[in-house]
Amino acid sequence: MPPAIAAHALSRSFNNFLAVDNISLAVEPGQFFGFLGPNGAGKSTTIKMLTGLLAPSAGSIQILGEDLIANPVEVKRYIGVVPEGMALFGKLTASEYLTFVGRMYGLDKQTTQQRTTELLEFMGLADQQKKLIADFSHGMGKKLALAAAVIHGPKVLFLDEPFEGVDAIAAQTLKSMLQGMISRGATIFLTSHVLEIVERLCSHIAIINKGHIVASGSLDELRAGVQARLAPGLEADSNARLTLEQIFLNIIGGESGPARPEQELTWLG
Amino acid sequence: MAGLELAPPEKWTAAQTRAQFEAISRLRWRIFVNAFRRKGGAGELVSRIILYVFFAGFAFGVTFTAGLLAFLGAWKGHLNWLDMLLWGTFLLCQLTNIQLGQSGTTFDPTQLIRFPMRVGNYIAIRLFFGLLTPANVIGALISLAIALGITIALPSLWFYALLALAVFAIANALFSRMVFAWIDRWLSTRRAREVFTGFLFAFSLGIQYLNFTFNPAYNHHHQSHVPLERLTAALHLYHRAQPYLAKLPPGLVTSALLSARQGHTASFFAATAGCALFAAVFLAVFALRMKTEFRGEILSDAATAVAKPKKPLASARRPSSTAAPLTVAPLAAASITPRTFGLAPAVTNQFGKEMLYVRRNQGILFALVMPMAIAVFLCIKWSTRSSASWIFPAAVAYTLMGLVALSYNSWGLEGPGSQLYFLAPVRIRDIMLGKNLMNFALASLEIVAMLAVVTYTGHQPPITIILASLLWAAGTLLFSTALGNQRSLASPKKINLASTTRKQTSSLSGLISLGVMLVAIGFGVAVFSAALFFHLQWILLPLFAAFAAGGFWVYQRILASIDRFALANREQLFLELCKPD
Repeated sequence: MPPAIAAHALSRSFNNFLAVDNISLAVEPGQFFGFLGPNGAGKSTTIKMLTGLLAPSAGSIQILGEDLIANPVEVKRYIGVVPEGMALFGKLTASEYLTFVGRMYGLDKQTTQQRTTELLEFMGLADQQKKLIADFSHGMGKKLALAAAVIHGPKVLFLDEPFEGVDAIAAQTLKSMLQGMISRGATIFLTSHVLEIVERLCSHIAIINKGHIVASGSLDELRAGVQARLAPGLEADSNARLTLEQIFLNIIGGESGPARPEQELTWLG
Repeated sequence: MAGLELAPPEKWTAAQTRAQFEAISRLRWRIFVNAFRRKGGAGELVSRIILYVFFAGFAFGVTFTAGLLAFLGAWKGHLNWLDMLLWGTFLLCQLTNIQLGQSGTTFDPTQLIRFPMRVGNYIAIRLFFGLLTPANVIGALISLAIALGITIALPSLWFYALLALAVFAIANALFSRMVFAWIDRWLSTRRAREVFTGFLFAFSLGIQYLNFTFNPAYNHHHQSHVPLERLTAALHLYHRAQPYLAKLPPGLVTSALLSARQGHTASFFAATAGCALFAAVFLAVFALRMKTEFRGEILSDAATAVAKPKKPLASARRPSSTAAPLTVAPLAAASITPRTFGLAPAVTNQFGKEMLYVRRNQGILFALVMPMAIAVFLCIKWSTRSSASWIFPAAVAYTLMGLVALSYNSWGLEGPGSQLYFLAPVRIRDIMLGKNLMNFALASLEIVAMLAVVTYTGHQPPITIILASLLWAAGTLLFSTALGNQRSLASPKKINLASTTRKQTSSLSGLISLGVMLVAIGFGVAVFSAALFFHLQWILLPLFAAFAAGGFWVYQRILASIDRFALANREQLFLELCKPD
């Protein structure tokens, strides 16, 4: 069975700046994959390339065994995306937007209507029938973008910061939905700065820094790797499980080097 | 603890304030320059230069005319003419403001409130950085020209003329600043924008009606069509309003100069002070608005968006914590939509979405109604059996002038939604076709309505003229749309309906759109005139059919390659359309 997402030797440069440098990754079907990195590491550039929003300078991308660059239309039928900008149309209502998206993904009228109703109710947006999307709060927009990303029942879902601006209750609902999708065999590729969420949801993680993948594997594998590196210093705490935040800081800190004392901003209060 | 004690803040100095002003000037300059460094920047620069040349020519023309009129008025002892001249200047400035926009539009100036700045400085920054607008430049130049005209005719009045006109120019500029600051506040909600657009529409229609009714240029051959009682009524209205108008800046400056001419220096200063008082009031009202902005006011609909209390729904939801995973059936289970009229589902779906957008965009709706209203005025004025052969083609050309411009920034209202077209399994060709079909449908509707109006209010044009006009319209529409499709992707401009002071289209696209229309109209007029002159009307049909066929060929060629073009330009597209408002 081919990987759900496979990127090989993927690079992207902007003028002379190499944002993503020769990365390769494979996400197996059914995995909840977390893609982490500090600001400007290349996360959004990578997700844009994987979803067809940005052309790679070099490399190849396969989704469920299909080449994204050669067969973009075919591939896009099987993926759902919540991009950075949410891809919403301000002059439509939520219901009109979902209907539009459903039809764009080739669903028939009846199915689109049924799923629109179901999704709006599920997302708690059913009582916003007349309000235009332009008048939505950020969190409401996020929920709608997520609803639009799943309306066609994608097999692979890409989520760029899906929980940003979403309230705790709604976040809980969304997490349940995503876990449900995983249990039915879908693959989810998620970026988030909220490491607690990634730790709770994702089974596999890759960390990107300065355009390179610096760590990749299951959470336990990453933990073991970091613990092995820190073994002498952590012997007293060897029973304590490292959190994802500690793992992340260790890997990125190790890459970038800790802040030197002379770098401290002593003029700050 | 070393390094943690807070030193008492040093007193803010005038040098620091100057540095802030300098930094903002530099920021504006860099944003202006950097705009040309982006893809398509060279084209934008060229179009700006062309526009500036046009603007300079226009400014010179009106300035010279105003100076000449002031000179003639003063020379012939009719200084009271000045009143009309100053009202004209005032109206011209406001219209220029609406048409060419305000400066200070390169960044959101309300962002400045996060810096350590006194409210007075903020007001000063907002005032001074908005002063250099085309309208204010024209206003200042015309005021100066009027003062010079008076001075040349009556040298003894030089001081009075310069002083009074300087005060007038300041009042005029401050009025613009005040009005636009408040308009942006009022237009921050959608409902207010709808009301305002309706008001502007009614106002424009009213102006057009007055123009057709009272402008002697339109009534030259038909004196009898302008009822005398209507003219008398207009004059009566003017005389009744005159005492009130005399208390406003143009009237005050006129009366100040009349007083100076009669040697009543005290009256001159009193009237000039009256005008200065108006300027002070405009400044105060502007400052009031800026003061509220400075406190961090957020006005948009989104900022006040709150979820309404939820009504219990028929299918009661489970508590969120135990919400069952949504059962979204996989794509394979869904049947695929059949084609409608031979068009791909994406095309018809896009067409439906465009219909919703048109329905919710009053600006477009009014742009559709306006040509019809003008056609009614035209027909009432001029329609005779002989004029029917040119009124219909002219009406069609007028209709297209407004409609073709829409296709040059057809993605402007999409905003971040534009990403969806690249994420969904659709071809950009289908999206463009859906958008274009909407434009074609609007144009067809408009032309049919126009034909009905012309036929009903006047005479039915000859069938050859109708068919030739339709073929010309088809060719023009196809050529324009083909180019417009490429410009929409290569040089998009995010449309922000909430701001009157931001540019809504690329300058170069606007120029190309105008150029294509002028060429098409020139071609149409030349062919029509030649055919009518040589009594060869039959030649109109093959010529315009060839024109339409050429348009179709270019259109379908460009449409066929639009997917590749869109992919090549997608980064630029997202950069512009996904930027925050």
